[in-house]
Amino acid sequence: MEPKLIDHLFRHHYGKMVSVLVRIFGLAHLETIEDAIQDTFIKATISWKNTPPEHPEAWLTQAAKNRVLDLFRKLKAAHKRVPNLTTGTETIAIQELFLDTEIEDSQLRMIFTACHPRLNPKDRISFALKTVSGFSHKEIAAALLTKEETIKKRLSRARTVIQREGVSFKIPQGKALSNRLNSVMEVLYLIFNEGFHSTKKELLIRKELCAEAMRLCQLLLTHKSTQTPKVYALFAVMCFHAARIDSKTNHDNELMDLRHQNRSLWYFPLVALGNTAMHKAVEGADFSSYHYEAAIAAEHLKASSFEKTNWKAILKWYQHLYELEPMSIYILNMAVVQLQDKRFRESYQLLQQLVPETLGQRRYLYYATLSDYYLTQEEYPNAIKYIDLALDLVTNLQEKKYLEKKRVAMIL
Amino acid sequence: MKEFMMIFVGADYADLGLSPEELQSRMGKWFSWGDKMEKAGVLRGGNALTPDIRRVSGEHRTVTDLTSAEVKEIVGGYYIVEAKDMDHVQEIAQDFPDYDLGGTVEIREIMVFDE
Repeated sequence: MEPKLIDHLFRHHYGKMVSVLVRIFGLAHLETIEDAIQDTFIKATISWKNTPPEHPEAWLTQAAKNRVLDLFRKLKAAHKRVPNLTTGTETIAIQELFLDTEIEDSQLRMIFTACHPRLNPKDRISFALKTVSGFSHKEIAAALLTKEETIKKRLSRARTVIQREGVSFKIPQGKALSNRLNSVMEVLYLIFNEGFHSTKKELLIRKELCAEAMRLCQLLLTHKSTQTPKVYALFAVMCFHAARIDSKTNHDNELMDLRHQNRSLWYFPLVALGNTAMHKAVEGADFSSYHYEAAIAAEHLKASSFEKTNWKAILKWYQHLYELEPMSIYILNMAVVQLQDKRFRESYQLLQQLVPETLGQRRYLYYATLSDYYLTQEEYPNAIKYIDLALDLVTNLQEKKYLEKKRVAMIL
Repeated sequence: MKEFMMIFVGADYADLGLSPEELQSRMGKWFSWGDKMEKAGVLRGGNALTPDIRRVSGEHRTVTDLTSAEVKEIVGGYYIVEAKDMDHVQEIAQDFPDYDLGGTVEIREIMVFDE
């Protein structure tokens, strides 16, 4: 009989086992631990070729348990500081660390370690994908559209900071918890967005990143101290966006805007899951930016066609977002919404308020919107002038192509 | 029917830097190959070999311990199958999962001595 392995079993198990072993031996031995676990997987692959185990997951866990003693001897031989495993009680405690709930706890500790404020934000993402999610250097590089060398540098920098700062392998408590939890959410959101907005041709890699962010977010939701309305809201945002991922690009990997997306490709089980999360999210008194982003995404999903979008509701959510964090990008989005709602004067007024430089890398969006505005006014020279400015600034190739297509339509 | 050995030669998995995900997908391919041979009733046995090598050679019985990193190619394992002829085994070997890693299958017939 051919045993069927659960999707991503190895990858997920890697993250689990690394977390458990770090909890036993400490972050100081992270690299040795990662090598040891990698070795376990290679051994599994080779020995399973002939006799696949009946319970692959239990086999892998047992193999990791066996590694504990190996590692202990190895580190001791190298005169490294190791926990005392010789006494009976310690050994029992170690057995317990391999229980499901304790594994989850160890993984949460690892996520919180990855999101330590002393780590550079970019290093956090790579570090989390490596140690929590079991991605290889090559896979992280492919997913983040970076060189493998860059990823190696980020990881070694992260490890150095962790050693130097003596970062502890704990879930912070009290006030520190809510700060760190914010940083964790940010990292998960970034991982999700890397997947969602990636220009990568292979939909698979994009989906894997999104799925990983969602899996880790769910892990936060299983733990009492991290089960907050804000985390529920973040999970809802992810569900709502992920539901549309298949329709975001067409077969030629061309970007499809909301107007042209095939709404029948939207995946409604995820919408339902997002709705459930949203109900939990609004049980709290405070609404975060994730709450409003989820509300906006939900409005788009509610509309049976682009024409039926409730732009007034969306505008209201953007206004809330802006009150929460007065960022120019929200004003720009409000201008886009007003434009869709055919309130051209209001849209133009919002655009006039904006200083494009405050949008940073997203400045091209401002010019593209301005071009759209002039298009509605049938002022073609201005429309072309501003789309050209947008084209000069855009770096994402998919978006560039999208804008180029629009420009061609203008001069026809 | 005759018996043949398929000997797998190539780089050691540990030296290829495969990720857990890649290892798993390779695993899946080995499973389905084994399953296919099982169903066809051709599989007679086989083993995977660890990458540690001790070589004893020459008149002086010179002993060398080697690791996979020191040799370019290593025998990673073998299967014994029952088949009509070499061509038949060649067909079976089409599904060997590691060609993309530069792997090789060497097919050898097991010699039978007349009594």
